[in-house]
Amino acid sequence: MFPDFDYVRPQSLQAAITHLADEAAVVHAGGTDLLGCLREHIFAVKKVVSISAVKELHGIDEAADGALRIGALTTIRTVAEHPLVRRRFSGLAQSASEVASPQLRNQGTIGGNICQKPRCWYYRGDFNCLRKGGGTCFAVDGENQFHCIFGGGGTCFIVHPSDIAPCLVALNATARVAGPSGVREVPLEKFFMRPEVDVQHETVLEPREIVTQILVPPPAAGTRSAYRKVRARRSWDFALAGVALALRFDGRRVVEGRVVLSGAAPVPWRSAEVEQTIRGKELDSDVIAAAAKAAVAEAEPLGKNGYKIPLFQGVIEEELARMSASA
Amino acid sequence: MPRKNPTTGPDGLTRRGFLTSMGTGAIGVAASADLFAAGKEAVDPQVMPAGRTSKVVLRINGETHVVLAEPRWTLLYVLREVIGLTGAKPGCERGECGACTVLIDGVARYACLTLAAEAQGSEVTTLEGLMDGETLGPVQTAFAEADAFQCGYCTPGQIMAVEGLLRTNPNPSAEEIRRGASGNLCRCGAYKHIFEAAHRAAELKRGK
Amino acid sequence: MADESKDIYFVQGIPVPDTPLPGKEPEAWQETNVVGKRLPRVDAYERVSGSAVYPSDVHLPNMLHGAILRCPHPHARVRNVDTSAASRMPGVRAVIRGTTPEADLVWKKDAAGEMRLFDPHCRFEGEEVAAVAAETPYQARDAINAIRVDYEVLPFVADERRALQAGSPPVHSKGNLSKSDTYERGDVTRGFAAAEVVLEESYRTECELHTPLEPHGCVASWEGRSLTVWESTQGVYAVQSRVAEVLKLPLARVRVIGHYMGGGFGSKLEAGKYTVIAALLARQSARPVKLLLTREETYLAVGNRPPCNMTLKAGVKRDGTLTALEFTCLATGGASPAGGTSLVDWLIRDLYTCPNVRTTLTDVFTNAGPARAFRAPGHPQGAWALEQMMDALAEAVGMDPVRLRLKNMAAFSQAREGNPAYTSTGFRKCLEQGAAAFGWEKARRETGAQAARGHMRRGVGMAGCLWVAGGGRPPSTVIVKLFSDGSVNLNMGASDLGTGTKTVMAMVVAEELGIKPEAIQIENADTGTTQYATPSGGSKTVPTEAPAVRNAAVQVKQKLMEMAAAALKTDVSELAYQGREIVSRRDASKRIAVKDLDALKRQGVVVGVGYRGPNPKNKVVNPFGAQFCEVEVNTKTGELKILRFVAAHDSGRVMNRLTYDNQVFGGITMGIGLAMTEARILDAGQTGKMVNRNWHDYKLPTALDVPADITSLPIGPADAEANNTGAKGLGEPVTIPTAAAVANAVCHATGLRITQTPINPLQLVQRLAERRKEG
Repeated sequence: MFPDFDYVRPQSLQAAITHLADEAAVVHAGGTDLLGCLREHIFAVKKVVSISAVKELHGIDEAADGALRIGALTTIRTVAEHPLVRRRFSGLAQSASEVASPQLRNQGTIGGNICQKPRCWYYRGDFNCLRKGGGTCFAVDGENQFHCIFGGGGTCFIVHPSDIAPCLVALNATARVAGPSGVREVPLEKFFMRPEVDVQHETVLEPREIVTQILVPPPAAGTRSAYRKVRARRSWDFALAGVALALRFDGRRVVEGRVVLSGAAPVPWRSAEVEQTIRGKELDSDVIAAAAKAAVAEAEPLGKNGYKIPLFQGVIEEELARMSASA
Repeated sequence: MPRKNPTTGPDGLTRRGFLTSMGTGAIGVAASADLFAAGKEAVDPQVMPAGRTSKVVLRINGETHVVLAEPRWTLLYVLREVIGLTGAKPGCERGECGACTVLIDGVARYACLTLAAEAQGSEVTTLEGLMDGETLGPVQTAFAEADAFQCGYCTPGQIMAVEGLLRTNPNPSAEEIRRGASGNLCRCGAYKHIFEAAHRAAELKRGK
Repeated sequence: MADESKDIYFVQGIPVPDTPLPGKEPEAWQETNVVGKRLPRVDAYERVSGSAVYPSDVHLPNMLHGAILRCPHPHARVRNVDTSAASRMPGVRAVIRGTTPEADLVWKKDAAGEMRLFDPHCRFEGEEVAAVAAETPYQARDAINAIRVDYEVLPFVADERRALQAGSPPVHSKGNLSKSDTYERGDVTRGFAAAEVVLEESYRTECELHTPLEPHGCVASWEGRSLTVWESTQGVYAVQSRVAEVLKLPLARVRVIGHYMGGGFGSKLEAGKYTVIAALLARQSARPVKLLLTREETYLAVGNRPPCNMTLKAGVKRDGTLTALEFTCLATGGASPAGGTSLVDWLIRDLYTCPNVRTTLTDVFTNAGPARAFRAPGHPQGAWALEQMMDALAEAVGMDPVRLRLKNMAAFSQAREGNPAYTSTGFRKCLEQGAAAFGWEKARRETGAQAARGHMRRGVGMAGCLWVAGGGRPPSTVIVKLFSDGSVNLNMGASDLGTGTKTVMAMVVAEELGIKPEAIQIENADTGTTQYATPSGGSKTVPTEAPAVRNAAVQVKQKLMEMAAAALKTDVSELAYQGREIVSRRDASKRIAVKDLDALKRQGVVVGVGYRGPNPKNKVVNPFGAQFCEVEVNTKTGELKILRFVAAHDSGRVMNRLTYDNQVFGGITMGIGLAMTEARILDAGQTGKMVNRNWHDYKLPTALDVPADITSLPIGPADAEANNTGAKGLGEPVTIPTAAAVANAVCHATGLRITQTPINPLQLVQRLAERRKEG
């Protein structure tokens, strides 16, 4: 059951930002993640500021330069089904279609998706963990089968729960953010907070800032994107391991590419190792095997998530092979 | 007894679904935004204070309900305990089982993860809203005929999920049906019959 | 409506079964006209329209909402409960705790001692500590959060594998051994000596939670000294007796109603503490109280299928003859004596012919939620071990797995005293016909490691089963009441869990009386107005209730025929009941419509009372089955996809083909959960708390995890000896072999024998990688 809170649904971004100045005020977009957090009493909330009525945050269109502009309140389903997305950013459409369940895709928004809280069961559950201001990360010695193999930094071992975020990073997207001091743009790659920097925040957003739009630059000619996700069951489940790819091909050769892992780290995890291994190469089986091996070379598994090493290798091999076959 | 959802066109598409699926590229096509815009230029609403009930206006199954609700009350709670529409069921109240599925502006959503206040300005359709008087709607009929349930507790949510699917995809493939039903748990395991019912419901809706 | 409306209840022109003379038993059905058909449920309309009222839906005037405070520690002593702030919170109308005089009650006494309703010694996370009732559920939860409890936190043991180790904290003062059982027949040492191949393997099945869609709970309301409870339950009479006992009330003053209920699977066979707590809150507040558990609470405190650690050693001759089976199981029923090892060894003891068998079961206490019966208690776990071992043996001796099983068919129950025969066993047919329907031999050849293509591998597997019960038994009393217009009221105490009980019983009445099933109004599951029934569960509801229903319907016919004999001035033995008419066998002109019977019009109704008769002496009534499946494994990622299933089950007569198939599909779905997705996860090494108490982290199969291609293949015939309907139980056997069949298919596809549930990518990808490393 939810705690008590004030509720307001302003119609302008400015008003929403003003309301967010109040003590323990939080943003409500689709509400799917926020309400789950409220039920678990994960953080104090005194005021819920719903931005769902702010008109300018809805919808998808194409900018003059060919960039895709996605309003932060665009539902995940719309992202998955929108013809523009499907045609030009198939990896993004794919990742959106793999999120949670149909109902949650109908309700959850792309802005909310990239701002969602981790699914670590210690964080969500009745445990006063590091991320909630406590003194312990229970995952270190506990039930860490769903936790990270990269980037834990010795502090907090969550994985970033989003499927969409890794694709946006792979596609070099930017978040447009509005706050009391105006509007700024943050590359998605720099949007997520690593735990060793600040263990209690998942993004670089300032307290009163709101994501208003996602900008995806037009892909260079020859670019193909894809997303592949492995989960413990086939619906309503987060990634055990996933890979988002945006590769630019010249014939069969990879000119350059961005490869971002989900289910791997506290933030969408860009695998420089894979990118370097495939750059300038044709994706033959040797290159693919080398890339998959390189991907996990630096992994630091915990007690119960060692399976993620062969799993990431397998997922990367499979997905690179698929890309290669369609090249 | 509420009748058909007035926002549903003859082709089964809601206005919102139609616009977004066309990919017009326009920003701000959501029905909720339209409704808010209508004659209420940017007058910011009052804060609903915690711990007290405030007036909430809901459109449910084509009728307007004015209720008193606290900000934290979910749409599911208000539907069931305030208005008395008990079709939507509480199963988890965490958006994980789908027993509370209703249509909001024509698409399936979890009523347990929707604040009642947040549903203002939207058209809500519950299981009861699929009835035509005492006559079952096509999805309900198909579920009954195909024995697409056992204990029946998840059934209202399953039916609404299929209804939502068919409103945007009147002729779904077997795989689309499975995906459409994948946000609703059935612990009794009647999935196979649910798939058959969804297939049959699509036929019934097409007048077969 | 037209005039024939008066005849609408009778079906014209179909024969009804012969009516035995008074005092005689009805004969077995031959051809049936209603029973066995594909009939949608009699309450389908209610269930799809939202008009079925589940206990969750009951809304009484002035009703309050209850909530329970539960111990957050796996083991603690409650020193003090401070409810002062909570009782001053807005909307709060009642607060109770262990020291509240009227709540200071004994909940139960068992082998481990006495347990109080709010026991100060909390032995598992989720034990009840206090409760409140408030105007809204939100306010009730606020009040719960405002209760301050001083706990003495005690050391705990959450992993049953450590419970008996020296130094493990005792859950109960007498130690952590709850129960130890040994079964032995023949001489296993000699049996293994006689074997040409001996294999030994360890197995583990993880703890499963029932999690029916409707949470456990009730609405409680007092009228003077009488209590009415609307409870989501499998057995209203079981709830009544427990509530009356705990509250020290006469049974007659406790009415329990459970017309609809949203699933139980064994977890709702009895009252919960919540039932009594709701009654106490209602009494203290003088208002009705609705108390539904939260989903999270249902994970902690209302039962589970225990985790089982098993070993199985098996000896076999080269020709496939089993010579010895030796089985051990260490399991836990949690913090109470709750049958942690109950029936886990039954299949090892009784499924296949084997002269030398020894089983040792060790049930230990842990600081975890108590077990409850869970669909086919013990059997899926035992099948996981035995049926994987049978496959391993088959491979070792170079036999087809189906043939190895056929080689060891049992003609009688070896595990029971006196080796009684089965009334019927279709196990052989299940294996043979199931294999044929599946295309077993061809599929076996065309899949498996030898047919590997790329990194996707296919395999097929199968497993067999029986279910220890499923014959039903007395008592049951049923009343069938025929009104003067020919419509019928069926009154029985049994709950319909969603298995289709009401529909099946209506079909029995319809069969006997020649009326339409939809003309039958059913009263059920209400201790105030319906007859005594044991809880629905154990696949015994149809074989228990249906014979009583049949007897009641037959008695109605007998009484109508006596009326007709008087009216036609003839002897009753000369008459035949033909549905709407009763006709003389000798003189077809002597006939009278039921509705025209003056005696019926005068009397208003004819009442038939049916009882469940005894089971056949010295015989065992068990259902049997075999399931076959095909899977696909992605050897790069460990993803497993089930492509198809064939389920051949001998459950005697099929009562309703539509609901029968539905049960089969449901059992397989649940078995897929055991095989692939479900496991309770306790933070055993740190806090002992359950970390996956919700439907995201504890994963039930979704619509995308089960195949659409499932074939249900009923194996006949009706069991003429079991009871007067020929039906045996179905609900449990259909989930017993599923997980083992999946594991066998995975082994066929990959060569990897996965002995621990669940077979998810976490486990499978690791095992595949290890094998690659080994080369």
